[in-house]
Amino acid sequence: MNAPPTFESFLLYDGEKKVQKEEDTKVTNAAIFTVNKEDHTLGNMIRHQLLKDPKVLFAGYKVPHPLEHKFVLRIQTTSDYTPQEAFMNAITDLTSELSLFEERFKEAIKEKKEGLD
Amino acid sequence: MPQLDEKPRVLLEEFRVKNAPNDYGMADEKWSFKKFTKKFRIVIVRMDNFEMEFDLIGIQPAFANAFRRLMLSEVPSMAIEKVMIRNNTSIIQDEVLAHRLGLIPLKADPRLFEYRPEDATEGTEFNTLEFSMKVKCTLNKSQPKDSYRAEDLYENHSVYSSQIKWQPIGNQASVHKEADIGPVHGDILVSKMRPGHELDLSLVAVKGIGRDHAKFSPVATASYRLLPEVTLTREVRGSEASLLQSCFAPGVISLDSEGRAYVRDARYDTCSRNVYRYEEIKDAVILSRVRDHFIFNVESVGAMQPNVIFVEAVKILRDKCKSFLDELNKFN
Repeated sequence: MNAPPTFESFLLYDGEKKVQKEEDTKVTNAAIFTVNKEDHTLGNMIRHQLLKDPKVLFAGYKVPHPLEHKFVLRIQTTSDYTPQEAFMNAITDLTSELSLFEERFKEAIKEKKEGLD
Repeated sequence: MPQLDEKPRVLLEEFRVKNAPNDYGMADEKWSFKKFTKKFRIVIVRMDNFEMEFDLIGIQPAFANAFRRLMLSEVPSMAIEKVMIRNNTSIIQDEVLAHRLGLIPLKADPRLFEYRPEDATEGTEFNTLEFSMKVKCTLNKSQPKDSYRAEDLYENHSVYSSQIKWQPIGNQASVHKEADIGPVHGDILVSKMRPGHELDLSLVAVKGIGRDHAKFSPVATASYRLLPEVTLTREVRGSEASLLQSCFAPGVISLDSEGRAYVRDARYDTCSRNVYRYEEIKDAVILSRVRDHFIFNVESVGAMQPNVIFVEAVKILRDKCKSFLDELNKFN
């Protein structure tokens, strides 16, 4: 009766943006990104990747409420760098990692299958 | 204490879990693709159509967890979503019956189908599978005299998932083979009936993801653990050796011809800290786990092979990253 629609956890509503950016007014070179319809899967992974960037001073994420399908990511960087650049670099790195992942996994599967025959 | 090599470890001590002294944690290291390529390895240990065990070596815990979560809740599969009940005179209630039917795993490959739009009232051949189930329970005319078992007395006493019949729509019959569509297991009990009870249902299966409902999850389990390691610090022999052997899972510790204990294979150790109960041998072992060696266990429900499910998970993650980059580019 009052159940939320089943697609609520993964489909964006009309006009809803995937990523919203908000500058932090109190600290320079800091920004808060709100990512809609994503959860710990991506949040934790992106945060982890950001922490490996030496120019990132702070990276943290939270899921503000379990019934709201979004996470909030705060990034602070050094002055010669912007949070957005950091975010984009982190994702580019992740993509390259994933390509390697797929490639290596398929190789391993192929090897295993050849071994079985 | 012998020097362990440079793999990052967590030590399982008697009363605490401790990081190795020269381990600063992997979170702060500077990342470089070259370093990652060098360290990263995948080993497939066991694989068949339903189950797979593989090792991911040299990755971050955040990564391992992302894959686990993706396989559980974001890789799509097909499941019965709507049940049109024309007649149900069995004792199982409509909504309970519908729920039971929804949980039956289907063989249909989700990669061959599209998501059904949320506002669509009619399904098309590309996003919907239709099934029907028509069962009526009657008295068995040729029942044996001396049997009082319900199976002998009545016809269609038990309703099984194999009685679900696929009704191809549009061009489906030529695209898919009948053997590739129906329930994975034909012996799932749906309901039990008595003479006069009748089921007349049409079922609609769609593609969905586990985040919406667990029935859409393509895996029964997807889990990971860290590789256990057992190191002996001194020679253990005789009765101490057999005591040591009994402290671990079978096959972890073996005895050589002279009765000395050695670690044969710690992989399937349960990591119980039983050894620490015995004063005489507790100084002889170091229990640890390798922090960047993840042992994945993926058990498929039957629609896709587990290796396919993992590749799908990787693809989904990559697509997400791509769409993220596009979104971020819009800010400039």
